[in-house]
Amino acid sequence: MELLEPEILLQLLIGGLLAGALYALLACGLNLVFGVMRVINLAHAELMLMGAFGAYVLFTVFGLHPLVSLLLIVPAIFFVGYYLQRFLIERVVGRPMLTSLLATYGLSIILINLGLLLFSADFKSIPALQGSFLIDELAVSKPRVTAGLISLLLTVGVYLFLERTRLGKAIRAVSEHAQVAAICGIDVRRIRMLTFGMAAAMAGAAGVMLSVIYSFWPGSGVDFIQKCFAIIIIGGMGNFVGAFYGGILLGVVEAFVGGFASTQWAEAVAYLLLVTVLLIRPTGLKGVARA
Amino acid sequence: MPDGGRRFNSGWIGVVLVVLASLAPLGLNDYQQSFLLQVFLVIALAQAWNLISGMTGYVSFGHAAFFGVGAYAGALFLTWGFPWWLAVMKGAGIALLLAVPLGFLTLRLRGPYFAIAMLGLNEVGRIVATLWVDVTHGGTGLTLSPELLPSLDVKYFTMFALALGATLLVAGIHRSRFGLELRAIREDEEAAEMVGVNTTLNKVIAFVLSALIPGAVGAVYVMYTSYINPSSAFEHARNIEMIVVVLFGGSGTVWGPIIGAGTVMVLRELLWAQFPAAHLAALGVLLLVVVLYLPGGLISILRDRQRTRPDVLR
Repeated sequence: MELLEPEILLQLLIGGLLAGALYALLACGLNLVFGVMRVINLAHAELMLMGAFGAYVLFTVFGLHPLVSLLLIVPAIFFVGYYLQRFLIERVVGRPMLTSLLATYGLSIILINLGLLLFSADFKSIPALQGSFLIDELAVSKPRVTAGLISLLLTVGVYLFLERTRLGKAIRAVSEHAQVAAICGIDVRRIRMLTFGMAAAMAGAAGVMLSVIYSFWPGSGVDFIQKCFAIIIIGGMGNFVGAFYGGILLGVVEAFVGGFASTQWAEAVAYLLLVTVLLIRPTGLKGVARA
Repeated sequence: MPDGGRRFNSGWIGVVLVVLASLAPLGLNDYQQSFLLQVFLVIALAQAWNLISGMTGYVSFGHAAFFGVGAYAGALFLTWGFPWWLAVMKGAGIALLLAVPLGFLTLRLRGPYFAIAMLGLNEVGRIVATLWVDVTHGGTGLTLSPELLPSLDVKYFTMFALALGATLLVAGIHRSRFGLELRAIREDEEAAEMVGVNTTLNKVIAFVLSALIPGAVGAVYVMYTSYINPSSAFEHARNIEMIVVVLFGGSGTVWGPIIGAGTVMVLRELLWAQFPAAHLAALGVLLLVVVLYLPGGLISILRDRQRTRPDVLR
């Protein structure tokens, strides 16, 4: 069986870890929002695609390399998220789960169809990074390595921000208990705007990274949001670190299923994982969900 | 709600609508009749969604999957020589068989798990229909030869019967103890459990009933279009339409989905028929507006005028 050669296994593992880092970046943002305001943002993957299409426009119109446009897109989408929170999400915080689910679902429908009107349903891709690094027998594609490493860097950066800074501490405090945080003098509304902005920026960055690896269209979000849900349920809802591990796990499992079975089955892995976890441990593998 | 006068009135409106719909084929051309058929389709689907999500507050983002399964079942049984009415029943039956385990899996959990699990269901259906080439012919789809298909009148009345049946089912449940228990789950699930409501079983029964309807509707739909492929059977837009129609009309009510379906379908026909993406974007805006500013839907405006407490989702 040729597939069982160590080089191939290593290759699959590396590919899986790199893809997993991208998933982790995306899912950590989703989980951050859930942790702080108990809102599941169904439009999270559309914010990601906003980043991908942003990179596409900057590349085709101005010839900007995606890694350069990352520096423009991340702050831009931070502000999109900040004001989305201010004018839309803030209204559904604290309301029943149903309300926030439906509101963000409405937002995602609007964004997808605006995307279709602006960019049509054709697949887009950015041929900026190509080729692969060769290390002995291993060939790892350059775009995947770049995207994976930058995603990893950003996720760890956000983690350190949350753990080490005063503002990060305030965000964690609101996530623990918003009322007590407010009593301690934390401006909870502002923290929520910052959090949503940050999560949106993470999604946007993931979108730019996605744009150098995959081709995408305005409807691509569905696959990704599904994977994100599997990840945050595996990792525990509201748990940042759990979402990171969940993302890596999904990336690796997908890579192996894709390698041994078919890439189409790999697409179903997320859903199967989700269902399995719901069956055996409804509160996720790590942490307790308080929904 | 104990409001005999209003119920009496809405009952008469219902009778008038039923008579009109039954006589309509006499005076309408094929195009108009097809349009009404599609309105019935949306009403039936909306009532199905209303049954689980409007009544219990558990949002299903994947109900179109049952429609897709029903459509494939209908097409296959028709090509295997079954009569059309049996194919419709098989469509409903297979959707039911799928819903029972799925309901027990996702509905024993509280909170957003059900919504999340259902969100991907439609996509899974599409993938399975694409990969299972032996049965579904994959992306090529299934084409039904015209001699297998019943006439437009038969399809019209079947769809009408489904819309009417779904509405009567919702109305019946609305008045029953079962309906009361479902609404108790929606308002406060823990309190409902405390007073002895078997919440899981109630939710699963509501879910299974609500899956059966799209299964049957899908089977009739495939006879209407005479062609099905994975993306037309498991169309995401159908989920959106179902949800928006119910919320726009007034979720958890008997008339809300009918009012919502009528309004949205007429708007679509008049304004957005040429631009599907604009139509869906407009539905998204409608959804946001309703969720934020009119949580009771259109019907709450009518009811407020009659000074009755709106019996709707907060």
